[in-house]
Amino acid sequence: MKAKTFLAVLIIPLLFGFASERNSLPGDTPIALVKKIILDVTYKKAGQSDWEVAKTGLPLMDKEQVKTGPKSLALILFTDGSGLLRVRENSILNIYGTPNNKKMDKNTVINKGSVQFEVNKQEDEEFKFTTPTAVASIRGTEGLFDVADNGESKMVLLTGTVELISKSGKKVTLTAGNTVIFDLAGDAKVYPSTDDDKKLLSQAKSLNTKKVKISTNSGEVDIEYFSDQK
Amino acid sequence: MRKKILFNAKSFLTILIFLFLMSDISFSQISNIVSAVRVGEAKEKTPLAISAELFTSENITSITIAYRLFGETEYKKLEMLLAGNGASVTIPSEFVQPPFIEYYLIINIRDGSTQTYPLEISQGGSPLQIPIGGVSQKDKEIIILSPNEGELLSINELLISISFIKASDDVDINKTKIFLNDIDITSTALIAGDLFIISGENVANQVGMGTKLLRVQVYDKHGNIYNTISRSFQTVSSQSAMDVASRWKYNGYIKGESRSESFNSASTWYNNVAAEFNTAYKQWNINASAYLTSEEKSTLQPYNRYSAIIQNGEWLDLRAGDVFPRFPSLIIDGKRVRGISGSLNFGVFNIQASYGETDREVEGSFQRDYANNILFYNSNNVPLGNDIIKIDQSKYGFPYASVNLGTYKRTLFALRPSFGSGENFQFGLSYLHSKDDAGSIEFGARPQENVVIGSDLMFAFDNQNILLTSQVAIDVLNKDISTGSLTDAQIDSVFGNNSNYNIDPKTVKNLRDIIGKFITVNQYLGPWNPQQFSSLAAEGALTLNYFNNSLKTSYIYRGNEFQSFGLSFLRTDVRGLNLVDRFRMLDNKLFVSLGYENLQDNLQNTKIATTTFQTISLSVSIFPRADFPNISLGFNQYNNNNGLSLSDSLKNRNAVYAVDDITDRISLQMSYDFTWRVKHNASISFSTSNRTDNSISHLDSKFNSGTLMLNSYWDPKISSLFALVYSSSSIKGIPFDYLTLTFGGRYKLLEDKLMLSLNLSPSFGDYNRQTFEFFADYNVMTNLNLMLQFRVFRIPNEATNSIVGLIARLSI
Repeated sequence: MKAKTFLAVLIIPLLFGFASERNSLPGDTPIALVKKIILDVTYKKAGQSDWEVAKTGLPLMDKEQVKTGPKSLALILFTDGSGLLRVRENSILNIYGTPNNKKMDKNTVINKGSVQFEVNKQEDEEFKFTTPTAVASIRGTEGLFDVADNGESKMVLLTGTVELISKSGKKVTLTAGNTVIFDLAGDAKVYPSTDDDKKLLSQAKSLNTKKVKISTNSGEVDIEYFSDQK
Repeated sequence: MRKKILFNAKSFLTILIFLFLMSDISFSQISNIVSAVRVGEAKEKTPLAISAELFTSENITSITIAYRLFGETEYKKLEMLLAGNGASVTIPSEFVQPPFIEYYLIINIRDGSTQTYPLEISQGGSPLQIPIGGVSQKDKEIIILSPNEGELLSINELLISISFIKASDDVDINKTKIFLNDIDITSTALIAGDLFIISGENVANQVGMGTKLLRVQVYDKHGNIYNTISRSFQTVSSQSAMDVASRWKYNGYIKGESRSESFNSASTWYNNVAAEFNTAYKQWNINASAYLTSEEKSTLQPYNRYSAIIQNGEWLDLRAGDVFPRFPSLIIDGKRVRGISGSLNFGVFNIQASYGETDREVEGSFQRDYANNILFYNSNNVPLGNDIIKIDQSKYGFPYASVNLGTYKRTLFALRPSFGSGENFQFGLSYLHSKDDAGSIEFGARPQENVVIGSDLMFAFDNQNILLTSQVAIDVLNKDISTGSLTDAQIDSVFGNNSNYNIDPKTVKNLRDIIGKFITVNQYLGPWNPQQFSSLAAEGALTLNYFNNSLKTSYIYRGNEFQSFGLSFLRTDVRGLNLVDRFRMLDNKLFVSLGYENLQDNLQNTKIATTTFQTISLSVSIFPRADFPNISLGFNQYNNNNGLSLSDSLKNRNAVYAVDDITDRISLQMSYDFTWRVKHNASISFSTSNRTDNSISHLDSKFNSGTLMLNSYWDPKISSLFALVYSSSSIKGIPFDYLTLTFGGRYKLLEDKLMLSLNLSPSFGDYNRQTFEFFADYNVMTNLNLMLQFRVFRIPNEATNSIVGLIARLSI
C-alpha cells in the first residue's frame, strides 16, 4: 500500500506537470467565451464583488456577469456553438449554463441594457433569456432584448418564433417581424415591429466602430469605441 | 482497319484494383468537344460544382447537364453557364445525396444536332458517377467557435477557439494538434475544460497577413486520428479590418480573354469579357455579374449573360438579368429567364414572381434552290410542308414561300404565393403564363401559348424526420395562336342547331370570353381529352428518417400532354412508384442503398401497348475518411417490356412495336490519398453495361470502361498527373475500342508567381487522337494575373485544330 501511495504521490504531480505544459486552466468547461471587446467591458466571477477588466478570449463560467460601459460592446459566443450575443453599451447580464452529457442548458439573465442574439436551432437543449419581467425560451432565432432601467422589457424578433412567459404568468408566442413589451406588472403588448424597433435591431447588430489615436510617452495608443447611438 | 488494343478488361481491372484516387475528380472520356469534367467536393447536402473544359466552344449553342440520384431513372436537367472554353453548373444541395449522383452532358450544336458526354448514352452507354460522401457525426462534435469561415480580421482581433463539449468520450483532447498554414501552434493554446483558446497575440510572430487555413487534428485515446476539421479565414491590418467592418464590403474581378481557334484551315478569333462584383453592407448582399462575348449574334439565342442579385437576410431575394428561377419542379425548373425574378419571404406568407424572356426573337430566312432562287409559291401550286408559310404578297409578289423558320420571342410570367415558412409546413399556389410574340418575326410558324396552374404542399414532423411533399399541376396549351381567338362569326358558323356542333353559340362565346382572359381560344387549344387527365401532372413523396435509415417512397403521374414552358424537358406519359432506402452505418462511413422503380406509360391509351419500366438499384459505398480507399460499388438493372410478341413477325404487325430489353450495369469506383515517398491522390473507376434487346431491332450493346488517375505532389512546386482511360464497346455486334493516356505536370517558379502546366494525351485504337495543352499563369501584381493557353488536338489524316488564348484577370 505504501508503495502505491508513494507512486500516486509521485505520479499525480507529474500528470499535473504535463497538463500545465498544455497551459490548462483549472476548473470546468466555460459556458461562453468573449470573442470581441470594444472599449470598456468588465466581468465579475460568481461570489466576488469586484469587476475585473475583460479581454478577448476570456472564458466565462457558470454564474459569471458581464458589464459594458458607454459606447462599448462585448461579443459573446456560447461554447456549445449554440449562438452568440452582442451585448450593447451600458448593459449587465449574467451567464448561466449546465453542461450535462454533451449537452448544455443555457440561461442569460439580462438585468439592464440591450442584447442582440443569434441562436442556432436547439435540438433538446434549453436556451433561455430572463429579464426582470419575462422569460423567453429560444429554439433557433434572431432578435433583440432591451431592458430599460425601470425593468420594462422589449423583445424585437427578426426570425423564428419565441415562447415568452411574463412574471405574471401570461404566455406570449412571438413570431418574426413582431415586438413585445412587458411592463412592470407583467402585462404584454404585442405589435408589428415599428421602424424604430427595426432600427434598434439593426444598430444592435452593427459593429461600426471609430478609433482615436492618443500619443503617449510610450508611443501611440489606439482606442476603439462603438460609434452608433441608441 | 481496327487496331487491336493490347489490354483486355480483366487484366486492366486486375492492374487497377491495386491503385488509388484524388479529391478533385477529373473525368476524361473520349469526346471532340469536352476535354475534361471537374467536380468539386461532393458531400451530402452541399452544393456540388461541376465544370466542363471544352476543346472548343465553337458551334456549341448550349450545354445541359442531366443528373439523377440513386434509384431514379429520370434525369433532372440544368443549363450550364457557357463562358469561354468552359461550362459550369452547381447542383443544388437538396439533390446531393449519398451514395452517388449519375450524370451526363447534353451538348447542343449549331447545326441542330446533339452530342452527349460520355458518348452513346442513348444506346445504353453508362453515365458518369460522382460518389457523395456522408456528413460525419464527428464533424458536429468538434466545433470551431472562432474564427468564422471566411472571416476577415486583424491579428489583434484574432481568436482561435475550439470546443470539445460535444466530443465523444473516445477523443483524447490533450492529443489534439492545431495547425495554422501547416505550422503547429498547439503549444500556444490555453485549455479551459473542453475548450481550446489561442489568442492572436500568442501567434502574432507566426502569422503574417493573408489567407490562413486552420486545421485541427483530433486523436482518439489510442493515438489514432479521430477526425480532422479545417477553417479558412484572412488576417489583415487593423485599419483594413476596421474599414471592412465599418463600410461596404466588396470584392470582384474583371477578366478579359482573346483566343484564336483554328479548325483545319479556318481560323476564328473569339473575345470575351467576364466581370463579377460582390458587395455587402449589414444584412444586404449585392452581386452583379456579366459575360460578354464576340459570339453574341442577333441570329442566335443569347450568348451574353448578365445578372444582378440583391438579398437581405432570408426575407428578400431580388434578381434581374439572366436568372434561373426555381418554382415547384412541375412549373419552372432550371429554365433561363431574361428579366426579373424575386421573392419576399415573411414566413407566414411568402410570394415569389418571375417575368421575362425565355427565347429571343430570331428572324428566319427564305430557302433557296440550287440556282439560288427563293422558293416562292402561288396559291394554286403551294405544296404541303411544315416550313412553307404564308408571306406578305404585296411585299414579295407571291403568297407562299419555303423558309428556314425563325424563333418567336417568348415571354414568361410566373407567380407563387405560399403560406408557411417551409420548416414544418408550406402550401403554395402557382400560376404560369407563357406566350410567343407572333409579331416578333416575319418568317415563323405556329406561335404558341401555355398556361399552367398548380399547388404544392409540404408537412414535416419530428424535426423533419417525417417529410410529406406533394405537388400537382395542370396546363392548357395553344399550339397556334397566329390567328388569334375565335371570332363571333367563326363561332356562329361552327356551333348551333344547324351546324357541326349542337351547342348554343352564346355559351361558347361566354366560355371564350372567360378563358380568353388567360389564353388565346381557338381550334388549336388543348388538351382535347382533359377528362382523361392528359394534361395533369402530380407527384407525392413520403420520407422517413429513423434508425440511420432514410426511406423515401414517391408516386408520379404525368399525362401525355402535360407541358410547361417553364421546363426545358419533362418526361411525360408516365406514372408509377419509386422506393429508395438508404442505410447509414458506422458513422456514415458505410452506405447500403436499395432502389426499386416501376413506371408505366400509355396513360391515355395513345399507344398500341403499355410499356412497364422496371428498375432495380443496389449500391454499397464505403467512405472510411482515413487510411483506406473510398469504395463505391453499384448495380442497376433496367427491364423494359410492353408484352408484345415478336413471334411470327411477318404477319404480326404489332411486332414492330415490341419493347423487350434488359440492361445490367455494374460500376466500381475507388479513391485514395496516400503517401509513398511523396503524397499522391489516386482514383480508379470501372463500369460495365450489357443490354439484351429482344425487340425487332435487336439493339444489343455492351460497354466496358475503366479509368485510372494518379496525381503526385513531388514538392510544393511540382506535381504530376498520369491518367489512363480504356473503353471497349459493342453496339449490334460492331466493336469500338480505344485507350487514352494522359501525362501532365505543373511547375511553380519565380516565388510561385509563375505557374506552368503541360498535358499530353494520345488516344489509340478505334479512336486516334492526340492532344497537347500548355498553360501559363503569371501573377504580375497582387491582383493581376496574365494567362496564356495553347492547345492542339489532332486526328491523324483528318484534322489538326488549335487554340491560342490570352487571358487577363484583375481582382478588386
